[in-house]
Amino acid sequence: MNMLTSKLIAKEFYLHRWLIIGSTIAGVVGLLIAAEGKVRFNIGMLMWLTTIVAFGIMLAMISIGNERKERTLQFVLSLPLSHGDYVRIKVVGLLLCFLVPWTVLGVGAVTLVLVMPNLPDGLLPFAVLLCGFFLANYSLVLCSALHTASEGVMTLVIITTNMGITLFIFMIGAIPSLNDHLFAPAPVWNSTFWTVLGVEAATLVITLSLPYFVAARRRDFT
Amino acid sequence: MTPTKHIEMLNVRKAFRFFTLEDLSLNLEPGQIMGLVGPNGAGKSTTIRLLTGLLAPDAGEIRVLGHAMPEAQALAKRDIGFVSDEMRLFGHATFGWHMKFISSIYPDWDEQYAKTLVQRFGLRPEQNVSGLSSGEHVKAVLLLALARRPRLLILDEPTSGLDPVARHELLSEFMDVLRDENRSILFSSHNTVDVERISDRITFIDRGRLIDSSDKEDFLERWRRIQLQLPAGATLPDLPHLVSRVDDGQFVTLTTNRYSEDLLAFLGNGVRQVQRMNLEEIFVANVMHHRELRGK
Repeated sequence: MNMLTSKLIAKEFYLHRWLIIGSTIAGVVGLLIAAEGKVRFNIGMLMWLTTIVAFGIMLAMISIGNERKERTLQFVLSLPLSHGDYVRIKVVGLLLCFLVPWTVLGVGAVTLVLVMPNLPDGLLPFAVLLCGFFLANYSLVLCSALHTASEGVMTLVIITTNMGITLFIFMIGAIPSLNDHLFAPAPVWNSTFWTVLGVEAATLVITLSLPYFVAARRRDFT
Repeated sequence: MTPTKHIEMLNVRKAFRFFTLEDLSLNLEPGQIMGLVGPNGAGKSTTIRLLTGLLAPDAGEIRVLGHAMPEAQALAKRDIGFVSDEMRLFGHATFGWHMKFISSIYPDWDEQYAKTLVQRFGLRPEQNVSGLSSGEHVKAVLLLALARRPRLLILDEPTSGLDPVARHELLSEFMDVLRDENRSILFSSHNTVDVERISDRITFIDRGRLIDSSDKEDFLERWRRIQLQLPAGATLPDLPHLVSRVDDGQFVTLTTNRYSEDLLAFLGNGVRQVQRMNLEEIFVANVMHHRELRGK
């Protein structure tokens, strides 16, 4: 990583510091609420889930969409970097920014399952898959923001990915080899779990690689 | 050894759906200030975007500071200070943060000069950029470009929206940059007063085509408006290099882009007045003449 790349990645962290800190705190508050009992568990987990998803959307939209809209993109592109460098820096920088609250809140959710006596450890694979889904979901939003300047297309992507969360949860519930073990006393890491995790990883790899082959090779940048 | 031209554009073409920049060729030597003048929508910003690597040409060749564009733009931009009236800094960061950020990227950043400019422009480093007025914002962006001491400054309408005092301050700074003869400026504007004041070379562009490019003094020497009074019944023969002719009874006003003593002698005793033209008058006459020729 050269000096300019690290400066620009540090710039992303600096400019989005309050969003990162605020989202992490909101997510942790959600987990704390969830830890307070059965009734509050649903409210807390909803807050946790909403925080991670909303943070990802806001990060991509503010950093890429607004940079274009508010014309700070010209300032960034006046620096000694190519279009390819810009895209690479955005992918790496924004992924790292997302990983901060994602890691904290993901570890928090796993800890919650392990620590809370009334929560069965069988929920652990589901928690891991849900966190994996959030990461893949974010990478899809990020990839879209790097490829389109259209607010309409981005709105469609956001609606689709948000609906995707509900569908994902339903899907997990509809797969017996996952659903049957949700309330088991010990986690079951079966082949279905690894298949779903593999699909999430493949989505992550594809959506994070695509900008290198398409957006980074664009000849006009406006 | 011949110094590398700071800008070389050769037969450049860039087509959009409703606009095409056609067959554009221009050069900028070290130590020169070139004013790129054209009406709105002439292609000035497209030319500058091509020079800064934001756009790639469909045809032709572009080299900036010896580097092929847009392929080697990362290298070229190490020595380019680019400022556009559309460029915005990050609203939620302070101006001081921007200075620190740019100084950490450019090794030639001149801290002392930056401090001088902060004072001269009346900027406050601790202020958030979102709180700057539009004039202060332009000054802030220019400061960031000037204090990195670039070899080539590319300025796209930098003085638009500024009050006369701020414009005067900025133009003085541009002149200051040129004290070092290895530096150069390309300055686009439709404000011919600014361009006339600081440029030593001028390029006129209209509807995507270069219509004229020359030294400023050459333009001012070549262009004249001549008022004639013709004797009753006399007609004026066809004259070469005539840009426009307006008849008003016996009186005729000619505009030429090749004024010479020989022409004056040819016109004889009928000449009542010979007027020098300022850059704005030359620009308008030039644009109208080329539109007329293209229409034919």
